[in-house]
Amino acid sequence: MRRLAALLAAAALAAAARGEPAPRPEGVEVARRINARDEGRHVSRTARWELVDRQGGRRTRETRVFRKTDAAGKRSVLFFLAPQNLRDTAFLTVDFAEPGREDDQWLYLPAARKVRRVSATDRGESFLGSDLSYEDVKLETQVGLGDYRWTTLGEEEVDGRACLAVEAVPVDEKTARELGYGRVLLSVDAELWMVRRAEYWDPGGRPLKTAHLTDIRLVDGIWTVHRVEVANAVTGHRTILSFHDVDYASPIDDDLFTERALVRGVP
Amino acid sequence: MLRAALCAGVAWPAAAAAQAPGSALAELASRAELVGTARVEWAFGLSDAESQKLELVLEPELELELPAGLDLTAVGRLRADAFDELEPGAPTQHERSVISRRALVGDRVDLELRELYVEGEVGRALFTLGKQQIVWGRADGLKVLDVVNPQDFREFILPDFDESRIPLWAVNTEVPLGEFALQLVWLPDPTFHDLPEEDALFAFTSPELIPSAPPGVPVTQRSVDRPREFIRDSDAGARLSTSLGGFDLTLNYLWHYDDEPVLFREILAEPTGPRVVVAPGYERTQLVGATFANAFGELTVRGELGFSIDRFFPTEDPADPDGVVRANELDWVLGLDWYGLRETLLSVQLFQTRLSRDPAGMIRDEFATNVTFLARREFRNDRVAAQLACIHGVDHGDGLARARVGFELREGLELFAGLDVFYGSERGVFGEFDHNDRLVVGFEIGL
Repeated sequence: MRRLAALLAAAALAAAARGEPAPRPEGVEVARRINARDEGRHVSRTARWELVDRQGGRRTRETRVFRKTDAAGKRSVLFFLAPQNLRDTAFLTVDFAEPGREDDQWLYLPAARKVRRVSATDRGESFLGSDLSYEDVKLETQVGLGDYRWTTLGEEEVDGRACLAVEAVPVDEKTARELGYGRVLLSVDAELWMVRRAEYWDPGGRPLKTAHLTDIRLVDGIWTVHRVEVANAVTGHRTILSFHDVDYASPIDDDLFTERALVRGVP
Repeated sequence: MLRAALCAGVAWPAAAAAQAPGSALAELASRAELVGTARVEWAFGLSDAESQKLELVLEPELELELPAGLDLTAVGRLRADAFDELEPGAPTQHERSVISRRALVGDRVDLELRELYVEGEVGRALFTLGKQQIVWGRADGLKVLDVVNPQDFREFILPDFDESRIPLWAVNTEVPLGEFALQLVWLPDPTFHDLPEEDALFAFTSPELIPSAPPGVPVTQRSVDRPREFIRDSDAGARLSTSLGGFDLTLNYLWHYDDEPVLFREILAEPTGPRVVVAPGYERTQLVGATFANAFGELTVRGELGFSIDRFFPTEDPADPDGVVRANELDWVLGLDWYGLRETLLSVQLFQTRLSRDPAGMIRDEFATNVTFLARREFRNDRVAAQLACIHGVDHGDGLARARVGFELREGLELFAGLDVFYGSERGVFGEFDHNDRLVVGFEIGL
């Protein structure tokens, strides 16, 4: 036995001397690298949401989305362009950089013509009837670093790209309930530090949904996902989210992230 | 092609006219967007087993990008009702200024220019000029500060306020001032609440609202003395908004004509006996108010306060010289919205009104309290929405309970069904419609 250990140690030393790859990064390090990726200080884009039910019935929503990040945090505003019954509905979120401070959210409903302050604790709720949650949409391609315990499980290939398989488990039951997830398995592109595929389980351990992120292209020098397909294992419902007219270059006025802008509608 | 044809009647600057006609039209069409909705709704009265309405409502909306960063919005409404119970015959529209009246086509069809305004920015100031709705306040279902525009009570308070609010011609500007935003409004359009006439299905009869003469005493009603001067009789107001410590705050002020008519009364001693003469008119008032809203975890708290100076309330005291009492009115509402259940909103509100005076004979109570409850839940990826709502008048034990289910059958087509139940004493403002309980079914198509 002592002879076997000596042989393994010698082999390890020899591998290091040959310059072989460093050990896989820890799960939390992967999560940090995902969140450190450049997402642009501001971006505007059109998002098309296709909602497909189990029978194949299809509904479409079109939204225009603006996001701006600064030292105070991240502000996002979304305006509905279509369909007609949702047109001019608008949603504003302020995600404060200050740790522990809850988001602020406002909703403008054209039928009431009023901006309504809404609770930001609905992180796990369906966003616009889609298979994405409010938290999924807020984070975009980032991850909730402090919400999970992270473990790198291994390596795998997704869409022909080398990925790290990372498991994320909510830090406690309360967080799991809020998020609606009991476990998430992420396939993270090891070069771009972008999630390419994600599998979700509910807090009871049952398979919930899978997300597949594709059509990743450089826009204004920033790697950008243009298609997200989410399939819900429980309802058979699917959401296909596609992005168009992505623009990181044009500046966005701070006035766009105000109640007044919600009422006025998409610029 | 349709869009181009519909936009062909819109005037366009000389630069466009200089182009070939075809390209000018194409240019115009590229800057315009025409959308709309069509809704068919049938309301069936449960007390008398008769239809209250079978209505087709078409609402086209045109948005047009004008030069210099201006945007024009025009919204029209065609409403056709097969039964003519809500406004029998041709309503007088004496509450509306000549520039805000509907066009009546026979007894059953009306056309209305709902909105026509231009929006633009000068520096950071935003202005909106034209016929529009200006909405203040944070309450649902009942109003405290949402009184800039008057309301059409054709179906009491059953339609969405967006539909029942009467748009007015106005100048509306909003100027950012550091951490504040100042809104200034001027409304040169003397139009008031559109109240149902006596023979209408939702005509007001509650003694809380309408004074009555002693039995056997004849009543003569004079024509309404309505302000008609667009400038002299205009309304004006201001709202200052800010965010402080997580609270959304506003301060509001409105100098305006009260949209409810004041029922001045005179008792004439005639040889045949006394006669009551009622002369409706409109009086100015000032409204000072404030609102707040904030979120605390799963709970959202919101409120409004409004103080009206010099309102006029009817009295049945025969010794009162003009039959009305001048008093100040304090209204407030506190609302709580709870988001603790997934895909569900639970909301309660407490409204209270207090008058500064309560002399003998006043038909309005010094205090009035209403509570509201709302539960809304969405199912099946927002394809189905169910809502239960109730407004309960504490003082008379009357109220309105409503249930509604909407189902998005396919893209742009929603089917809906609902039940509206009035209950309680006929003295109450809700109980007076106890005989108007109804079942509603219909559909709406996005165009």
